[in-house]
Amino acid sequence: MKRALLAVFFIGLLAVSGLAQTYDVASDTTWPPFEWADAEGNLLGFDLDVMRCIAALQGFEINIISYDWDIIFDDVGIGRADIGASGATITDDRELKVDFSDPYWSSDQAILIRADSGLNIVTALSLGYTVGAQVETTGAGFIQGLIDAGVSVILVEYTLYPLAVLDLINGNIHAVIQDEPASVASATAEEELAIAGIIKTNEDFGFFVAEGDPNGLLPLINAGVAQLKTLGVYENLRLAYMGPGILAVEAAWKASIGLLDAGNVVDFAQSLADLANQ
Amino acid sequence: MATIWQSLELLIVKGLPTTILLTLGLLGTGLLLGFIIAFAQVYGYRPLRWFCRGYEQLFRGIPALVLILILHSGLARSFNILLPAFTSALIALGLRSSAYQSQIFRGAIQSVSQGQMMAARALGMSKIQAIRYIILPQAFRLSIPPWTNEFSSVLKDTSLASAIGVLELTKQGTLIFTRIQFVMGVKYILVILILVAFVYLVLTYAGNAALGFLENRLRIPGFEMKGKVER
Repeated sequence: MKRALLAVFFIGLLAVSGLAQTYDVASDTTWPPFEWADAEGNLLGFDLDVMRCIAALQGFEINIISYDWDIIFDDVGIGRADIGASGATITDDRELKVDFSDPYWSSDQAILIRADSGLNIVTALSLGYTVGAQVETTGAGFIQGLIDAGVSVILVEYTLYPLAVLDLINGNIHAVIQDEPASVASATAEEELAIAGIIKTNEDFGFFVAEGDPNGLLPLINAGVAQLKTLGVYENLRLAYMGPGILAVEAAWKASIGLLDAGNVVDFAQSLADLANQ
Repeated sequence: MATIWQSLELLIVKGLPTTILLTLGLLGTGLLLGFIIAFAQVYGYRPLRWFCRGYEQLFRGIPALVLILILHSGLARSFNILLPAFTSALIALGLRSSAYQSQIFRGAIQSVSQGQMMAARALGMSKIQAIRYIILPQAFRLSIPPWTNEFSSVLKDTSLASAIGVLELTKQGTLIFTRIQFVMGVKYILVILILVAFVYLVLTYAGNAALGFLENRLRIPGFEMKGKVER
């Protein structure tokens, strides 16, 4: 009896593994609108849905895992997770640890301040004020670059972006630097905050895998991104996530995700964009 | 208000099971290893005693977070040992707890007076029998109060596992307040953190109450316990 059960178990295991390869996708899910958890704990966001659509089109399964930003490149680099999808700018330093896909998003940095502080983008970054950033982000790198060049500004780094924003509201720091869409989300949510200005850094976001791409995923991801653009899916995901606001897109996502589960990538993105922008 | 209840529900459904599982795993690992070490430290031959003393000193002397990082990130990067985050936390915190628990058991065994061992031997019991039937039943009862303390500290130590991404109560809390700050405002981060603290408080209280009940049930009235026990 025991042996029979064991046999059934192994046959089941083989059947499951034979269906489609499942890859672990690491994402720091504390960064709307690119990745976050809704009120029921569902993980959604621009990056995650782009990745889900690529997986559906290219015929592999993904399992999204909430990761801490400060270990995400290390862990994908050593193969603890297979793919990184976390609004990561492609930089030379990171290329040492991981391999990036083709760019799928272009971003600039924004400076977030308290609306009543009277600072502007120049004064906030040059008169000895304190600027917060998430650790090991390109925003933090930008401020460090200013410091190295002799500009009078102080950098404070946080493990979580929301804690930097909280410190800004509490008056412990004078500004926060980070990517534009996330800054817009913060300024929309908090009346006290405003965007002092945009720094045109022209950064490219890429998905990333371990050095040398051991699972052969980059060609699939690159082909997938290209497919999403020709199908109009990419544009619909952009319309859904960049603008309408978190509650609107969460409701739209819940109503639409069934379409993606059924493999209908195009209708999913269309429905998401339509419902979110109603 | 609805969002607050929803957040509590999410903490309990998605964070709590991992926290409880990790706590039980740690207490179990610590109990087993800790007991063996305590036993070896009291009754073992000299080299074994030295080894156990070194083990206990080592794992009581390293901060739990450093131990977790050594196991999860250090070993992975240097020797390509890729443990899942939960396993890393279980091993690191389990080793730590076993060192602390060994001292609870050692103290309890040694607090049973030498005269009892001699009396048992004089009655014709072997050393093993004396340990099994005379020393351990008393030592076990004596170790429950300090073990209750260890339970409380192990339970809260599990929050350190969030540093390597184990999705337990604390980490689930950060995911919730990330969203809450965009939906309700950044001031609600405090509300979520208080909710997380509240869940730990309830767990600690429930665990202590259960162990207190056990302590009371196993108490032998009038026997060797000189202080007054109020329950």
